[in-house]
Amino acid sequence: MLLFVAFPMILAGLMPLIGKFSKRSLPDILSAITLFILMVLSGLLAAIMNKGVTIHQPMVMGQKLSISLAFDGLTLLLLFIIYLIGFLVSIFSINYMEEYGSKGNYYGLFLLMIASMSGLILATDLFTLYLFLEAAAIASYGLVGFGLGREELEASFKYLMLSAFASASILLGIIIAFAFTGSIDFLGVGSGFLMLGQPKIALICAALFLAGFGMKAALIPFHGWVPDAYTPSPAVLPALSSGLLIKTAGIYAICRIFFNIFGLFGELPSLLIWIGTISIIGGALLAMGQKETRRMFAYSSISQAGYIVLGIGLGTPLGIIGGLFHLFNHSIFKTLLFLNAGSLERATGTRTFSNLGGLGTKMPITSATSLAGCLSLAGVPPFNGFWSKLLIVLALVEVQRYGLAIIAILVSVLTLWYCLIFQRGAFFGKFNTNWSHVKESPFWMRASMVSLALICLLSGLIFPVIIRGWIEPAARIVSSGVRYLLYCAGY
Amino acid sequence: MDIFFYLGLTIFSILAVILRDLLKSAISLAVASIFLSMIFFRLGAPIAGVFELSIVAGLIMVLFISTIVLTSNVCEEPSSQTAKTILPLVMAVFIVIDAFIVRAIMGKLVAIPASRETLPFNEILWNIRTFDLVGQIALILAGVAAVLAFFRTRGADDA
Repeated sequence: MLLFVAFPMILAGLMPLIGKFSKRSLPDILSAITLFILMVLSGLLAAIMNKGVTIHQPMVMGQKLSISLAFDGLTLLLLFIIYLIGFLVSIFSINYMEEYGSKGNYYGLFLLMIASMSGLILATDLFTLYLFLEAAAIASYGLVGFGLGREELEASFKYLMLSAFASASILLGIIIAFAFTGSIDFLGVGSGFLMLGQPKIALICAALFLAGFGMKAALIPFHGWVPDAYTPSPAVLPALSSGLLIKTAGIYAICRIFFNIFGLFGELPSLLIWIGTISIIGGALLAMGQKETRRMFAYSSISQAGYIVLGIGLGTPLGIIGGLFHLFNHSIFKTLLFLNAGSLERATGTRTFSNLGGLGTKMPITSATSLAGCLSLAGVPPFNGFWSKLLIVLALVEVQRYGLAIIAILVSVLTLWYCLIFQRGAFFGKFNTNWSHVKESPFWMRASMVSLALICLLSGLIFPVIIRGWIEPAARIVSSGVRYLLYCAGY
Repeated sequence: MDIFFYLGLTIFSILAVILRDLLKSAISLAVASIFLSMIFFRLGAPIAGVFELSIVAGLIMVLFISTIVLTSNVCEEPSSQTAKTILPLVMAVFIVIDAFIVRAIMGKLVAIPASRETLPFNEILWNIRTFDLVGQIALILAGVAAVLAFFRTRGADDA
């Protein structure tokens, strides 16, 4: 099981060397094959081990290592998402990263980000979680500035500086938890806080974790880094970050810490609900006025992360299922949309979609797949985004939060609006003759986008299977609250 | 013996703040953190010592080196007089707040189990915090990969 962390990490360490011998093919092939194998393995594991919590101790040459990895519904769901998105972004990179060169270095950072996110979700203590979170963040700073342009380096620096506040906040939370409970593992911290009976200390810790992980999850008011980091970087970075990093480093950590360690005490659920709602509205309103594709989708990510937190924050089984299903769906369609943006920018050389027009005939695959992504994002049936948003709305109605349900629906209409503005600006409308030289993207980029679009459609058509197979086991773990600690202890 | 560690910590912490050369400043901070981790070990808190060392070795240095690399081509601007005045003031305020917080929480801290604290350093690192080693390797590799990516010359390395 340590394979999920160690294998991509070892390969990442070797990638700069491999890149010296083979500039293109070998890094592409090794990365894609590794991620494909791990994706299949994580899918199989999810099918076999999706019951309760399994604490696994890896063995090396017959000797048990003193490493405890936790496998449960939530970690298995995220592990599969990480490798699914990782694999599809990797095949997109085969053509897309040609112009950036240094594929060995690129895949080194890419695989480290994947390995670190896997380590983060398998960790059973706060400090290990923090270490992997930082490793993933450092790899992502490298990817933001990978193009080496002034704008990219500036974005990388800004991202680093803002993330430092998040890291400091999380670290301070861990220090306080350690000081008052004498432990940093989930079981020790959770049981320590339960015995301590000092909600003030738990509240301080929770506030620090909320600020830190809220920034990683791109929630308002901690969202400032998102548009700046996503706009000038290679398109694979926002695809990985919006599709994976804000889910693992932000929302997974929020679920694990607030539900399974602290146990959603006091005003925490209300706080999560309000932060979620403000993010839904704020993100959508900010996305409305954008002319640049990636900036629009960056703000849209904030809005969609808000939906996830709103669903989960309700704390009801239906709300958690809706939130986690939206997490899965958002990973797929937002990765697709950022890859579409990359494809569009590569073909036209511009980040602004408003001065394009009629490119649907020139780039039919990019156009069709981006339409699928936009329809999923806006929650149009039968795409996956519709069902997850519907579940969140139903969960809100179930707890009689009618106002919030109306907000969730209205913002979905706003989302459709800005998606249509993008579609009309880029692919539909009158053809702009300035772009007569534009050609459709190469094979691997198309293959990646088509796969993601098909997943958007298929996961919408067979959503009950996905919910029963993957989402419900994950939701059971989240809603088990502090009982999760008992499972960890082997009860 | 302890007084040297405390003096070392204070001197290198101040150097980290006042030195104009960013690289020297980062190295001073690393040395200060090494002194701090020694103090942790002397005070019977090897886990805290390990954390301090690992953060310095893995995280802070990588972050600072990356930052220095990222900003090395930016023209240097003379520091303003305001910054020179405010910095010691902020430090003084921080020390006062820190003293109050430490005083307030000192009696309330849960005693850390003595059995774990008395374990030797290598025992803690290899037998208790093994997964952290994997995390630290990931951190260092990420830092190295980021520096390699930033130091490369586009075109020359890509051919």
